[in-house]
Amino acid sequence: MLVFIAKRFLWMIPSLFAVSFLAFVLIQLPPGDYVTTYIATLAASNEIVDQNTAAQLRERFGLGDPMLVQYFKWMWGILTRGDFGISFEWQQPVSDLIWERMALTLVLALSTLIATWAIALPIGVYSAVRKYSIGDYFFTAFTFFGLAVPSFLLALVLMYVAAVEFGQDVGGLFSPEYENASWSFAKMVDLFSHLWLPVIILAVSSTASLIRVMRANMLDELPKPYVTTARAKGLSEFRLLMKYPLMIALNPFISTIAWLLPNLISGSVVVAIVLNLPTAAPLLLQALMAQDMYLAGAFVLLICALTLIGSLISDILLALVDPRIRLE
Amino acid sequence: MAKEILSRGVTRRAVLGGMAGVAALSIAGRVSAAGGEAPALAQLAKDGKLPPLAERLPKKPMVVTPFEKVGTYGGSLRRGLRGSSDHNGILRMVGNQSLVRWNLDFTAVQPNLAERWEVSDDATQFTFHLIEGVHWSDGHPFTADDVVFAIEDCVKNTELYSSTPAQLAVAGKPVTVEKIDDYTVKFTFAAANALYLENLATPLGQHPTLFPKHYCSQFLPKYNPNIEADAKKAGVTSWTELFRSRCGDIEIPSRWGNVDKPTLDPWVVKEPYAGGATRVVMTRNPYFWQVDTEGNQLPYIDEINFGISQDVESLMLNVISGKIDIQERHISVLANKPTLSKNMEKGDYRLLTLVPSASQQCQIYFNITHKDPAMRKMFADKAFRQALSIGINRQELIDIVYFGQSEPYQAGPRPTHPWYNEKYARQFTEFDADKAGAMLDEAGYKKGSDGFRLRPDGQKVFFSIDVIPTLYPDLVDALELVKAHWAQIGVDMKVNTIERALYYTRGDDNAHDAAVWPGPGGLDPMLDPRDFFAFHPQGSRYAIPWTLWYTSNGARGEEPPESQKKRMKLFDEARSTADLDKRGAIMKQIFDIAAEEFETVGLCLAVGGFGIIRNNLRNVPEKEPDSWSWPNPGPAMPQQFTFTS
Repeated sequence: MLVFIAKRFLWMIPSLFAVSFLAFVLIQLPPGDYVTTYIATLAASNEIVDQNTAAQLRERFGLGDPMLVQYFKWMWGILTRGDFGISFEWQQPVSDLIWERMALTLVLALSTLIATWAIALPIGVYSAVRKYSIGDYFFTAFTFFGLAVPSFLLALVLMYVAAVEFGQDVGGLFSPEYENASWSFAKMVDLFSHLWLPVIILAVSSTASLIRVMRANMLDELPKPYVTTARAKGLSEFRLLMKYPLMIALNPFISTIAWLLPNLISGSVVVAIVLNLPTAAPLLLQALMAQDMYLAGAFVLLICALTLIGSLISDILLALVDPRIRLE
Repeated sequence: MAKEILSRGVTRRAVLGGMAGVAALSIAGRVSAAGGEAPALAQLAKDGKLPPLAERLPKKPMVVTPFEKVGTYGGSLRRGLRGSSDHNGILRMVGNQSLVRWNLDFTAVQPNLAERWEVSDDATQFTFHLIEGVHWSDGHPFTADDVVFAIEDCVKNTELYSSTPAQLAVAGKPVTVEKIDDYTVKFTFAAANALYLENLATPLGQHPTLFPKHYCSQFLPKYNPNIEADAKKAGVTSWTELFRSRCGDIEIPSRWGNVDKPTLDPWVVKEPYAGGATRVVMTRNPYFWQVDTEGNQLPYIDEINFGISQDVESLMLNVISGKIDIQERHISVLANKPTLSKNMEKGDYRLLTLVPSASQQCQIYFNITHKDPAMRKMFADKAFRQALSIGINRQELIDIVYFGQSEPYQAGPRPTHPWYNEKYARQFTEFDADKAGAMLDEAGYKKGSDGFRLRPDGQKVFFSIDVIPTLYPDLVDALELVKAHWAQIGVDMKVNTIERALYYTRGDDNAHDAAVWPGPGGLDPMLDPRDFFAFHPQGSRYAIPWTLWYTSNGARGEEPPESQKKRMKLFDEARSTADLDKRGAIMKQIFDIAAEEFETVGLCLAVGGFGIIRNNLRNVPEKEPDSWSWPNPGPAMPQQFTFTS
């Protein structure tokens, strides 16, 4: 097992290089560069930018270099100094900008994951065991509703109701007094008192699909002979369910952990923008729109790293949980 | 429209002259500082943490007459910004402390940090007398040295500014600034610069008061030999980057990203505008140098809280639930007006009217210098452009897209402006599809079998018009209607909705068939004449290569035809003519030529925007110009805004 994990780790290194290069190329693909966007922004308020100034900016940011040179300069900085470069737009080191955002993103992602599983697993099992009962129909209806409603729409409706009908402050993850405060217990409490709304909104759609997956898997397992055997041997219904069919039915949940982390970041972009959440998604979108390439590149790189780590975790967990999987 | 804001007997004549009334005002603007100060500051002064008020204020502080009444101290003003590149949203509210400023009507330049000035007869020398005893927000005195430092050491430093900003250079040579005494500075230009005072009152005129010498000199190699090492320590690659991140520039985000930089603004940064910030908080400047008519130090309001919304819809939600005190930026599109009008009571606000300084709501720029010779020939054909112009049903467009709130218009100063040119503004705006068809027939664009016209070379008459949907959604709607109108006269057009950067790249490469943009120059024709001749390297989209020829003095681009060259010469002449009547006569010649050439096709007169003001926020004019040169609401002086409860 340890050898397996070590091998997987080694494989992650070239993979990261490959995805970082691809990400860098993709970010540069749209026409124009940061300076074009900067000029466009100023001109939107009818401002003239001197052509010399534009040329000077390009030179200052090294935008005139060939892409490969830019890429190696960037990677060299990261590998040797942990320096992700400077954000053009903010004139700040990228590393100052990303860490807190990434941390909050992980908090949101993990909370959503836990909430999703906590709702989806029991309901999925229940729906399978009590197939075609009133409860099953109820939850089935709920899942279709959850799948059909776009989460940003749900966010807008909930915000409108909260803001206009109840006068609640709904945007963001913190109350104004904690927004720029340093971390403390009180700030944590404040965070969790704001976290539930985005968590519910984000959890609704993924919960719906997970309930269906769980129900289908359980229905596959329940009629199998080993279940009948166990039941004949007098195992209680609850222990029986927990011990065998559930473990096997969990397989798709575990093997999708790798996608969950990047999905929760990229899938929550619209919701995060609507709800004004200080997570990575809105900053990433802004950086992409402004062609602020080092900032965008750092985010994409981190998300790729998370995906790789996620797939490692799911492989390990699968090996542990599913008795059918062997390393050889 | 101008008459709507010219409410105080100042005639439009005084607008561009800008000298009238100045002397009277600067004398009236002197009383002794015997008034009050904000309670929090009074407490600090009492505790010995701040010098007493009399020492913080100039001996003769500038007196601001409150718009409605003398205000009361306190309160936090809430306003919205967007997440990215919205630094000018702060500038417009806070950063208008230049040597001079605009009056409320956008008609005359008034004293600000300079209490008076003299201009030489040939308009090459400007001598400014600064208010004595003004302090930066850290208590350090503001003197002529700061102005000289800002221009001579910063702006003219070729490593920081590889070329001098346009306002500060005439005839290719940068201005020279000398100190006469501690409170007198002289600006000398290489040639006449008659518009300098007006330019100085615009946001781009802020350089002379932007860089405090005692603070910013530590980021220049001339004053700090260890600067490269300091830059490395700060994690940036060069001293110029360090300078920009610490001292900023007029319009870059980092101007609002450093809480340590002293300023002359009424409020100073407390929580900076930095990457990923969710709000920006500014707090009162204890050394602010203006008082009201009773001698109370301004500003009245303690704090400004700019919430950063990623999404305009959530900003709208904040407005209608009463969580924003004054806002026009981002929400002022017509489509929002019904929603905002309906919720006035719930949000407890009133509406603010914006008078556009722009001329045209949607100017169509056919690329007369198109790379493809056949397309170039077609667009350069005046009869073709005229036919397309009368083929547009402008009234239908105004009724549908602009709720009837406009009138057919081509280009030029707005109808109330003294330089208004009837022909230039109204020609070819009558809808007549039959006549348009006949004109196209005559110009050689006959209809083919499918009902669409063919060029003389047998190709179908087809072109695309570039438009940025995220920036101007109304222009997309307008173009869709124009497309339908033109289809009736046999012309096929594609509404090319593209992303912002691509729009600019296509313009810079001269790769566009045509493009649309709102046409400026309605109330400020001298400040942005891009539609009148090939003036603006990004904006005069009907002939970008000609503008390059003009801005590079013939070194780049493509040589324009005689009528363009004549207008370029006339404009240079107008720019250096101090006498307003003579200047007007020159500009009118430009409008006559432009009307004759008919290079751009306009749809309708620019429509006014609007905003909201909470009912408990007073001293706010409910009608103001909407312009970058008059960076609303700044010249309405937010420092004298006050809350009633």
